[in-house]
This record gives sequence, structure tokens and C-alpha cells, in this order.
Amino acid sequence: MNRMIDVRSVWFWLSVAALVIMFVFIVYPIINIVTSSFSNGGGWSQILSEQRYGEAIANSLMLAAIVTVACTLVGVPLAYVTARFRFPGKSLIVFLPLITLVIPEVIAAQTWLMMLGNNGLITRFFREYGIILPSFYGWFGLVTSMTFIYYTYVYIGTVAAISGFDAHLEEAAQSLGSSPARARLKVMVPVIAPAILSGALLVFTMVIGNFAISIILGHQVQLLSVMTYRAAVSEGGVNPVMQSTLASVSILIVMVVLFINRWIVARGRYEVVQGRGAPPSALRGLEGVLIALAAGTVVLISMLPMISVILGAFTRARGPVMQWGTWTLENMERVFVTAPQPLVNSLVYAGLATCIGISFSTVVSYMIVKKRNLITPLLDYISVVPLALSGTVLGIGLIISFHTGWLPLTGTASIIVLAYVVRRLPFGMRNASSTLYNVPNSIEEASISLGSPPFRTFVRVVLPMMAPAIAAAAVLTWTTSVAELSASILVYSGGRETLPIQIFRLLDSALMAYASACGLTLIGVILLPIMIAIKVFRMDLFGVGKPRSES
Amino acid sequence: MSISISGLAVSYGQADVIADLDLRIDEGNFFTLLGPSGCGKTTLLRTIAGFVPAARGRILFGDVDVTRLPAHKRDIGMVFQDYALFPDKTVFENVAYGLRARGERGAVLEGRVMKALERVDLGPFRSRKPAALSGGQRQRVALARALVIEPQVLLMDEPLSNLDARLRLQVRETIMELQREARITTVFVTHDQEESLSMSDRIGVMNKGRIEQIGSPKEIYATPATTFVADFVGAANRIPVTLGQGADATRPTVRFGDVVLRARCAGPVPNGEGVLVLRPEDLGMDDSPTTDGAASSLPGSVILRQYLGARTAYKVRLGDGSVLAVDLHGEDHDRFSAGQHVSVSVNPEKALVLAR
Ligand SMILES: Nc1ncnc2c1ncn2[C@@H]1O[C@H](COP(=O)(O)OP(=O)(O)OP(=O)(O)O)[C@@H](O)[C@H]1O
Ligand SMILES: [Mg+2]
Repeated sequence: MNRMIDVRSVWFWLSVAALVIMFVFIVYPIINIVTSSFSNGGGWSQILSEQRYGEAIANSLMLAAIVTVACTLVGVPLAYVTARFRFPGKSLIVFLPLITLVIPEVIAAQTWLMMLGNNGLITRFFREYGIILPSFYGWFGLVTSMTFIYYTYVYIGTVAAISGFDAHLEEAAQSLGSSPARARLKVMVPVIAPAILSGALLVFTMVIGNFAISIILGHQVQLLSVMTYRAAVSEGGVNPVMQSTLASVSILIVMVVLFINRWIVARGRYEVVQGRGAPPSALRGLEGVLIALAAGTVVLISMLPMISVILGAFTRARGPVMQWGTWTLENMERVFVTAPQPLVNSLVYAGLATCIGISFSTVVSYMIVKKRNLITPLLDYISVVPLALSGTVLGIGLIISFHTGWLPLTGTASIIVLAYVVRRLPFGMRNASSTLYNVPNSIEEASISLGSPPFRTFVRVVLPMMAPAIAAAAVLTWTTSVAELSASILVYSGGRETLPIQIFRLLDSALMAYASACGLTLIGVILLPIMIAIKVFRMDLFGVGKPRSES
Repeated sequence: MSISISGLAVSYGQADVIADLDLRIDEGNFFTLLGPSGCGKTTLLRTIAGFVPAARGRILFGDVDVTRLPAHKRDIGMVFQDYALFPDKTVFENVAYGLRARGERGAVLEGRVMKALERVDLGPFRSRKPAALSGGQRQRVALARALVIEPQVLLMDEPLSNLDARLRLQVRETIMELQREARITTVFVTHDQEESLSMSDRIGVMNKGRIEQIGSPKEIYATPATTFVADFVGAANRIPVTLGQGADATRPTVRFGDVVLRARCAGPVPNGEGVLVLRPEDLGMDDSPTTDGAASSLPGSVILRQYLGARTAYKVRLGDGSVLAVDLHGEDHDRFSAGQHVSVSVNPEKALVLAR
């Protein structure tokens, strides 16, 4: 009997169904993007001949490189300091990952403008003293805001690597005659380098795919993601040549980076030394104060969006003019009472996406890990494909695949939910399968031997064991779906605005106060489940999966 | 419930892991599958359980053919090497699990579970989670869980191998008591020969997917059918010998070195080329080489002496350079020292000839 193609097994047909679904909603859109880029004469010759395309690609690569370096320069020292030292105010820094996770990029971009834009709070403050700050639009704003959002990805990975780094190695090097500083460099750098590089490459791909900040702060700087979005908006789904070509370029770039990442991780595996990390030592005196100050500044800058969104939400505004210092509840009232549709839409779509995404990834991971057959490796491969798609690219893929034809989804809510589900699928899958690998086969066999049929075993034994991981994945899927902007802005239709879309549109018309109210509500919607998960259910949210907050 | 297996073959792909295996286990028997790592013990056990499909052959529980019956309908109890307790359920819920699957509810369920738990001295632990138990306690929960459903067949895959030596003895006794009490047909997998000898009614010694010999512990130990069994169960000196043309096929004359003796023979030995199997504890030792007529005595010198309390284990090098292991018990078993010239005596009654 061939277990790999057992046509009598329910699991076999389930895996066939999963393959069909993943093919239609993940592979088929990509195929469409690539084929469209060659149709009707193709966009490739234009990209090669017209200067602005080359310029945009070069700008995007340059921006990604600069931000990546900046994030490493901020993230690694901060990680080292928090992993190895105790100093006043350290507990604040522990919340860092939370901060970037909960602040959607569109809000971050908005609040940076509220502070440092042409009419920003800080800009005006300095102007009163005759100091003219450089314009925040363009390279300065892009690099600053992206750095203070993305450095966390370098920081989180590096903290983990340094904490797991065996302090005895350092001592051993010292005992062999190296000075402490040299010993540290010599032994620690090669060990934590893979973690840093992985984080840095993640930042690189996120900058390439970044939509919200790029379009809001980019202004004169032509960027690939913005140009792709504009092409998609102007072409629509009918003759999508340019958008597909640009999307293909971004897929290519991300694939190259992912490939490098994989190569580094594979090499790094041999270098990871598991051991007890050094306990943090206390920092006192001037050094302690300086380090605490530096770390505090980083935290404060990360917190800036949070603070200004709160201020903005309760500040009275007449049109685009903020009347700083006068307070009102009007803005919040509009979000909840006068025009609650975006809020309701966000809750419904993200809720649906969370339920569908988590159920799907649970069942599919179960098949991949426990019910292997000829098809399951394919499911495994396809499930990571969305990692190579930025939100804009995915949005384009969905539009050109489903705007007419055999499955017309555009204009319905389902295409928004679909975009959410596909974007978060890799994270849900990774979460579910890493727990499943920890469920020994004998547990299931024990249940079956006690008379429970396989399906009942799955429900009664496997699911409860997966429950904590599923719940954590659900919270993370929820938070990232609620904040999603770049794919949904392409696929949504009138009346189906979500909160991030609403904020984006308000920013366009410079209605900062109303936008802040939407932003504060959005942060609340994101924060609430996280708080409940951490406080009530004591979940370790940041240990599982990799949180991503780009919108 | 007896178990009958005929013509069974199992494969994980191309090559058969088990080929053409026949086995019968009587009702209420404690049957041990003994064999080296990778010989297919787990595979055979899991095939009996229904987790691995049989490529060919039949498996019967009593008169019922279960070859195609899914595992959950076979009414088996199973105990795993890694315990396989449900980590999110309490001890009570773990044991109650099989009964619930059989529709048992309420006071009857509670009563049966508590009785099973008390039987393994775990009554007070009923509301603990498995993580809060010691290894021995976990294995006892696993036992209670498998036995509380009163299965037709109890299957155990190296249930003791994760326990330390003292616990292993304790749980071993618990298993034996419970099995004798319930008279459940039991298949027990181990690669520990002492475990198999002490616990079993019958032992099947496996090698490379085949059963080499089935018999009582005594038969397996005293009259191994093959050199593999002789080697695997207990220590054995193996000496290649040529058989003389004796009149009695069951008592052939063997000759090695200066020694000629009439050994026992379990089966026909082709070509007259055999192996003489001598258990270390069946050999004797004297100070001085006795040459007068005692043809079954071999001169040599002690090259290694290990004092083990109840006995002393010696290694003796014979004149032709071969080395014999000799275990001495009784008074003054440690009286020889390394380097000493000795003579090793062979008791013909205990000397067994096997095919090479
Ligand atoms: N799932 C599997 N797929 C392929 N081959 C397998 C699988 N499980 C076991 N085998 C092979 O089948 C043979 C028998 O394995 P089995 O687990 O039955 O041995 P065992 O006697 O239980 O060994 P041990 O004492 O080490 O547990 C081995 O050669 C093993 O490599
Ligand atoms: Mg085994």
C-alpha cells in the first residue's frame, strides 16, 4: 500500500483541496503578474528605456541599504546594552517590540509629519526661534522614520542571540590572553553575526516593499513601491502591463534577498553556540547615566508617534489647521458615532481573516507535519511564497486575477479578507508547525490506541496542545491584519474603507486631527487583544512567530 | 485473547523490514520481543497495534481477522517509551480518556479511574499535570491509562528504557503484577535481555526482521537455536569446532585443541563444521594444569580479573591464543590472580554445538 497517494484517506483529499486553494490564491496571481508583464508588448523594454523607472529602482535599493545600515547601528548597540547591563529605566526598553508592533506604519508616518512636517509641532517651535529645520519630506524623513520603526527587527533578533551566547566562551578567550574588549569582538561577533544579518535583510525587504511611509513622506523621491502603486491605480485591472512589470521587479529583489538570508541561516547554524548567557551586570556612575540616556532617547523617539497621536486625537482642528492647546472629543465622536463604518469594516474583515487564516494554517500545518503525502511538501513550499510579496504586489496579483473572469471578487469584501489571509499565512503556518513538531507522534497513537478515531484524536488531543500557540498566532494575525494598508488600498471598493485606508485618505486631505482619532482607535483595537493575551492568559506573544507591523 | 500472525510482511517503502513472519501468542501470555536495535521490534508491535499497515499476511486476535481493522477499533492498550501522556490533561483525565471514548460517564467512570490510579499508587496525584510527575510516576500513569480500558491486548514498547536502574526494577514489578492479575495477553518490546528473561512467559528473539527463536526464557538461555541467540541472550564463548563421526547425532564428538568431548547438539550440523557455545558461568577453573586423562580441561593463563561481589569474571588466554570468559561463583571465587597459570574445565552437559 502506498501511503503517499492513499486515495481512500480523508487527509489526502483535504491536502488536494488545500493545494487547489493555495494555487488559486497564491500561485495563480503571481503567474498572472509575470505573464502580464510580458503581454501587450511588455513593460520590460519601457523599464529599461525610461529613466524614471531605473531611478526609482535605484532609489529604493539605496533607501533600503541606508535604512538597513542605520537600523543595525541603532539596533545592535541597544541590544547589547539591554542584554548585558542593568541600568535605570531598562524596563521601558523591554516594551520596545510592543511599540513598533502596535503602531501601524501609516500612523507612524502621519505622526512624524505632525511633529516635523512643514506645519509640525516641533518645526513650528524651532521656527519661532528662527531655526529652519530641513524639510521632512524626501530622504531625511524616509530614513529617519523608517529607521525608528524597523530597527526593532534587528534589535529583537540580536537580543536573543546575545542572551543565548555562552559567556564562558568570552572568559575562555580572556584566559587565553585577549583583552576583554578584543575577546568580546573575537568570540561574540561571529556567533551573533547571523542573527544580525538576518534581521538586517528582513529590514531590507521591508523597506523595498514599504508603501505607507514611502508614499506619505517620499514626495519628490521616486520609489519602486510608490510607482508600482500609482501604475496599478491608473491602469486598473484591464491592461495591467506596467504594474505587473514593476511588481515582478520587486518580487525579484525580495527573492534574491530571501535567498541570501537562507544561505546565511544555513551557514549560521553551525556557529550557534547554545549556553548560558552572562547575567546582566549593573551600570553605575557616569557611564550608566549616559547609556540610560542614549537608550531612553531611542525609546522616546519610538514613542513619539504614540504621544502625538494621542495629542492629535483630542486637539480641535478647523480643516487642516490644528489648534494646538484646545481640546475636544469631536474627533473621537466622528470615529465612533458619526462615521463608524471604517471601524466596523476593520473589525469584521480582520476578524474574518483571523478565523480563516488560523483555521487554514492549523489544518494545513497538521497535514504537512503529521499526515505527509505526495502533496504536503508542495503545500509547505507554497505557504512561504507570500513572504516574497509586498502588500502592493499581492494587491496587484489579486486584482488582475479576480477582477473579472471565472471568479470576480473585486468590489466585494472577500478580496480584502483574502489579501489579509494570504499576507499573514506564512506566519500562521510557521507558528502552527513549530508547535506540531513538538507534539510527538506517540501522543496521537496513544489516543488512537485508547479507542479515539483519528479525527476525534485531532480535536481532543492535538488541538488542545496547540491551543496556546494558536491563540498567540491569532492575536498576532489580528493585530497585523487590522493594520494592513498596502494590499487593501488597492483591492478595496467604495464603502469598504478600513481604518488604515481611512487614515491614509485623511492624510491626503491633511485632516490630521480626525486622522489621529482614527489612529488612536486603531491602536486601541490592536492593543486590546494583546493586553488581554499578555495579562489575562499570560501568553508569550513575542517568543512565537515573527511579528511584522508594516501596513 | 490469543494473537496469531501468519506470513506477515511490512515495508516502509521498497525493502521489507519484516518478511514472512509467523508468530502465535497464547491467551494471557506475557510475550517479549527481544532483539538488537533496528531489527524491527517496534515495527512488528506497531503493526499489531494497527499503526503500520501489513503489506502481506494476516493478524488475528482470537478468531477475528484484524489485519484491515483501524487501530482505534482493535481494543488494545499501549504503553510508550516516552510515556505519551497528554500534557494538557490531568492524571485523572489521562486515565479517563479511553473510558470516555467508550462512552463511560459519571460515577462509574470516576470509580474505575480511581481504582486504576490506586492500583499504581497514584490516587493522591489525580489532579496533577504530567509535567509535575517524576519519570516513574509518569510511566505508572501510562500503565493505568492503558489497563483501565481492560484491553484485549496490551502492547508495550520499551516502557522502561527511560527510567534509571532502580526505578526500572520497581516499575518492572508493577507491570508483572498488573499483567498477572488481569491475565491480559501482552507483547513487550525490549532490547534488554535481563528484562526479557525475568518478565516473560515466552520470548521471541528477533534479528533483521525475522524471529530466530521462540521459547521460554530457560529454553532461550540454555538451548539457543542459533549463534545469534546465544550471543544476544547472555554472554557466550564461541569456539569453532569440527564434529567427529559419532554414532549419536545428538551427542557428537567435538575436538578442539587437545580437548575431545561429547557435547549436546540442538539440531543437525552441516558439513561437520560447528560452533561450540560455552557460557562463562558453566566453566570451571583449577590452579594447576591437570593433564592426567581429564581431556575436557584446557591449560591457560589469567589475563584479566574483575571482582564483581557475588562472582568474579576472568579472561583466560589458552595455549592457541584464543581467549575464554570464565565466571566463578561460590566460595573463594576471587582466588585466582592475573598472570596465574590455570586450567579451565568444561562440563560436557553444558556444552552446546550449533551450526556455524
Ligand atoms: N518510518 C520509517 N520509515 C522508513 N524506515 C523505517 C521507519 N521506521 C523504521 N524504519 C526502519 O525499519 C527498521 C526497523 O525499525 P524498528 O523501529 O522496528 O526497529 P527496533 O527493533 O524497534 O529498533 P530499536 O531497538 O532501535 O527501537 C530499521 O531499519 C529502521 O531504519
Ligand atoms: Mg524500537
